[in-house]
Amino acid sequence: MILSASIGENEAYLREQFHHCSDFIIRSFKLKDDTLLFIAYLDGMIRVQSVEENILKPLIMGELPDGLDRLQSLTEMIRSNWLPLTNVQTDDNTEKLLQHILQGSLAVFVEGEASALIAQVQDFETRSIQEPKKEAALRGSKESFVESLRTNTTMIRRRIIHKDLKLESFTVGKYTQTDVALVYVQGLAEETVMTQVREKINNIETEAIIDSAYIEEWIEGNSFSLFSQVQNTERPDIVAASLLEGKVAILTNGSPFALILPITFWSGLQSADDYFERFIYVILTRSIRYMMTFISFALPAIYVALSTFHPEMVPSYLMIGISTARESSPFPTVIEVFLMLFVFDALQEAGVHLPNQLGPVVSILGALVIGQAAVEAGIISTPIIIVVSLTGVAAYSIPRYSSSLPFRIIRYLLLFITGLLGFVGFAFGIIFLMIHMVMLESFGRPFMYPIAPFDGKRIKDILIRYPIWIQNGRNKKGQKK
Amino acid sequence: MRRFLRMAGLSFILLITSAGCTDFVEPNQLAFVIGSGIDYAGDGMIEISHQIAIPSKLSGSSQGGGPSDSESFIVVSAKGRNVFEANEKVQRKISRRLMTSHRTLVVISDELAEKMDLNKMFDKLNRDPANNQRDLLIMIKGSAKEFMKIKHPLEQLSSIATNKELLINGWNHYSIRQFMIDYAAEGTRAVLPFLQIDNNREEKDKVHLVLLSGYAVLNKQLKIKGILNDSEGDRAVWMAGRGTFQPLTIPWKEGNGRLSFRLTHLERQIHLANGKNHGNIQMTVKAQAYLLDNTTELDMSNVNNMVMVKKYLDERIQKDMQVTFNSIQQWGPDIFGIGEYYHRKHPYWWKSQRDDWDENFKKINVSIKANILLRSTGTSGGQLND
Repeated sequence: MILSASIGENEAYLREQFHHCSDFIIRSFKLKDDTLLFIAYLDGMIRVQSVEENILKPLIMGELPDGLDRLQSLTEMIRSNWLPLTNVQTDDNTEKLLQHILQGSLAVFVEGEASALIAQVQDFETRSIQEPKKEAALRGSKESFVESLRTNTTMIRRRIIHKDLKLESFTVGKYTQTDVALVYVQGLAEETVMTQVREKINNIETEAIIDSAYIEEWIEGNSFSLFSQVQNTERPDIVAASLLEGKVAILTNGSPFALILPITFWSGLQSADDYFERFIYVILTRSIRYMMTFISFALPAIYVALSTFHPEMVPSYLMIGISTARESSPFPTVIEVFLMLFVFDALQEAGVHLPNQLGPVVSILGALVIGQAAVEAGIISTPIIIVVSLTGVAAYSIPRYSSSLPFRIIRYLLLFITGLLGFVGFAFGIIFLMIHMVMLESFGRPFMYPIAPFDGKRIKDILIRYPIWIQNGRNKKGQKK
Repeated sequence: MRRFLRMAGLSFILLITSAGCTDFVEPNQLAFVIGSGIDYAGDGMIEISHQIAIPSKLSGSSQGGGPSDSESFIVVSAKGRNVFEANEKVQRKISRRLMTSHRTLVVISDELAEKMDLNKMFDKLNRDPANNQRDLLIMIKGSAKEFMKIKHPLEQLSSIATNKELLINGWNHYSIRQFMIDYAAEGTRAVLPFLQIDNNREEKDKVHLVLLSGYAVLNKQLKIKGILNDSEGDRAVWMAGRGTFQPLTIPWKEGNGRLSFRLTHLERQIHLANGKNHGNIQMTVKAQAYLLDNTTELDMSNVNNMVMVKKYLDERIQKDMQVTFNSIQQWGPDIFGIGEYYHRKHPYWWKSQRDDWDENFKKINVSIKANILLRSTGTSGGQLND
């Protein structure tokens, strides 16, 4: 629809569209030369001070420049740089006009004009940049993303000062009209991945995108896999590093988490600190992390297999010790481990949702009820407490929370099949897991790359982290080898 | 995805139904056999006595360990025609499944070795995979059942105590597996640690200590041909190439004080004394000696004294070894593996000898040569002078 030339009709149209919107404001006034005009905006979405200084003052108080006929288009005049604002445009399409107002622009209507002047003076309260909470690093940048898309893109822009850093913009969601930015470095990112991502984002047909997690679910290749094929991060430095590795990032307005893709299994086990500490130390921490990852899904199953199916494999003293501890337990080992894992996860779930002040209550109850009372009552045996708590702690040593989630499920599945079949079942479980992981792809990139398919050149950052200059294939003086 | 789920579901069902091995046993349904004793029960029967740990009586580390007042094990015995049969009879007396995989010790009585065919009896211990082949195998003078019942003042389970005693003293080549290997090899004969219950301790309760009194030398048919005492045994084991370390105390010339050594890196080498004559063997024993106690007048910081001590040590060991060797040779069984040496180096000559090796061994002329390396004379040179 096109705007009308009559200022009254336009006002009536806007008032009708924004019926029952208490934050919608129209202010009409008359200039010295009797020209009628009104401004329309959403309260709280604009920079009021700037509007007053730069638009109202010159219009109402200021003299019109000489040599300009009043009835010559006022809008034209304003556009000719007489308004001290950076982003000013005109539009006569009502749909677009409404959109602009909704996003925090100021619209100026003049009598006798069939178009409105739109000044982008959007401004609202946002959270300031804070330290990353979910992915804390001992060393390295203390910035984390915020909810505002523009702030987030500047954080990346400040890190990669190069014209090849591209930001493609999309708008998704019928009601939310969420701005989504596809960020990549031209020349490094693979075109096939980009085409896929663009297509997938364009194909999203949804009412609402509340968070980047919504985007993640829409674009994921295999939604039924246990493993997430998109990584999320709140650290701009991780995004910048990933972009320079040829990956692609998706930023969503309103979400402090950026999505990175394609990813491999290994990137879920790497932490930002891996690159901020000296590499020798990192080799140690990484190997501990890999071992803990294994423990986090396999230990309960291994314990059950060893103690109930293959007791001859356990060293004699240990086996007698286990058997001493289990002497009075009423349940089979499998059930006991299941119970404890369940209680552990339940406690964790309870702890996450409690307000901070109530947190200690859960830990005290958990520690007392499970750690002591259950053992003293002889319902649960001590080795199982050790196994389950070690398993739980192991899951926390995986640096990315979302990467540890699959292992929490696999833990139960493995335990179930091992409880039925012993190590035979364990082996089958691991084989199925392996098959799945090897077959999984993240946007065309094999999930287990570079281990399977094997790529010797890219392995320098997987099991052990080589010094950065070796990873770049250079000697210390920076010369290519 | 659907297809994967279907395949996974199908193979899971197949796995459960076709494998059918839901044979898990909870630890509290198991009776851990820690040691077994085998006795002769007359009429060609044997009596097997299992020492079984009682888990609830074993105090865990939280209570500080050490033996508790009540018994931490029981001994259950039964008679049978062979090991398997006796085992099954023991099983019937017990509420839990016997678990022999964690056994550390098998004890046989000397009477059993005399009256039964050991080689036939050991088939079960060798054939059944549920047996731990690393169990130590020892022979006891008297009743193995009584031996199993003895409590140890330091350890909760006396079989483990005996096992540790043997290992800590360097007697670690006497597992069932080693015994089987010795038995199967034609050119070597088995030797077993021989233990005796120490009845001299004046204790009112049943706590005794077990003495490592020597070694039993067995012939091809696994019959005892002789018992070596402690020091003879040490030398024999060294010559058999199974020694690891041993202490040695020798008096110095003309009774002026004593020298004590710790010998480590015990080795022995066998070769023909002169090229062609197969009947003449020279055996060289080697070791590294650490002087730990010196009550003589010798100042060991003096090089001449060191050379003198080494020479004396060599001569002394050589002499003792020769005496021990000759006495064992009289008995017949070649526990030293000299037959194996022939088997490998002179196979044709060995073929003519092997059928009656226990007799032929007696005719071999062996001379012992010692070569001890004096590694250390300790931290002080001469004696402390007042």
